[in-house]
Amino acid sequence: MITSIESSRMVVISDLHLGNPFSSQSRKIFAFIRWAAAEGYDVCVNGDGLEIAQSSFAKMTMEVPEFLRALADVRKAGREAYYVVGNHDIALEHFLDDWGMMKASPFLNVASGEKRIRIEHGHLYDPFFVKHPHLYEFLTRLGAIPLRFFPKSYRLWIRFERWKSGRRAKRTGITGEPRAFAVAAAEIARRGFDAVVFGHTHHAGQVNLEDGARYLNPGSWLLTPHYVEIVDGEVSLKTWSVSRKTTA
Amino acid sequence: MTTTDRDTTSSDVFSHETVRSYADGETIFSEGDSGRDLFIVQRGAVEIRKHTANGEIALARFGRGHFFGELALLHSLPRSATAVAVGTTRLLVLQPGGFLLKIRRDPTFAFEMIQQLSHRVKVSNDRLVNLLEKSPAAASEVVAILKESEEPAR
Repeated sequence: MITSIESSRMVVISDLHLGNPFSSQSRKIFAFIRWAAAEGYDVCVNGDGLEIAQSSFAKMTMEVPEFLRALADVRKAGREAYYVVGNHDIALEHFLDDWGMMKASPFLNVASGEKRIRIEHGHLYDPFFVKHPHLYEFLTRLGAIPLRFFPKSYRLWIRFERWKSGRRAKRTGITGEPRAFAVAAAEIARRGFDAVVFGHTHHAGQVNLEDGARYLNPGSWLLTPHYVEIVDGEVSLKTWSVSRKTTA
Repeated sequence: MTTTDRDTTSSDVFSHETVRSYADGETIFSEGDSGRDLFIVQRGAVEIRKHTANGEIALARFGRGHFFGELALLHSLPRSATAVAVGTTRLLVLQPGGFLLKIRRDPTFAFEMIQQLSHRVKVSNDRLVNLLEKSPAAASEVVAILKESEEPAR
């Protein structure tokens, strides 16, 4: 299993949830992956790229083959495609690896320039997922019901999380997500990482940690097309559009 | 050689780790020392050296993210080799009581530790096989020693 790699140019996207009834950005995702391949980037899907827990079989059959073809194009362009498993696709670790068009891993330590970057989905630091895994799974499956009929209801939940976190007097993490993620990123960074990239929370943002390290999260393409760009050790959070890309 | 050993994080009863800095060439610990700390390289590098009948040899060099000193922490053994800073080096120091807390807060550290240890076992095995192939005379003796040290099946 590969967990340590080198890359001078890489883009990281997260939480695509292809196959989820709420997923409506699949064409944009495939275009992004092919753009990254053409621009000479390695591509890392940082967990929950494929939806298992809330999947619609019809959606899966429509979206997954094209996703795999896009990743195959990355390798045809001479770059690598990596897949870090998340909690919605945890069962796919060896399955994805065996297809041979991407390298699957529980996390990645990326050496880029003089920098070290950790890429990990982040569900291990979700207090609710860790303390109540069965309840978490039950609620995730239950959540699939309203999503099937009212896909956009998901945006209300995300707004609620941002409103809730905005009420905290002292914020030290990314708006919308529990502080536990920034704390975990700081703990990992102390092992000699310059940046830590999580996904999982669907809240895009970045915060500075101690000693010049940074924590970044590209959020989810269910909401906004953010990605993390790594070029010779420089790490930045960006937003992508079909016609142009802009810094977040 | 300038001593720059500093704990930059206060070590109170709830702290499970500290940070120490070392100058180039400074000794972190010496072979035979007692000590229970495990070290992770934050910046710089560390060379592990050992005295042999043929003089001092460098066993390994560890860069950022690598750990060393685990024998003292896990088996309460004296330091089996000497660790020396290569360049200005900063280390994260895990104290004995803090090891499990570190794993609790940073579980992939345990994964990486097992991965690095199994890699070191593989490298040692490969070196042993290479040596045996180069000196077949010693091979039968070494095989006999290995058989003697085999753990009985439980």
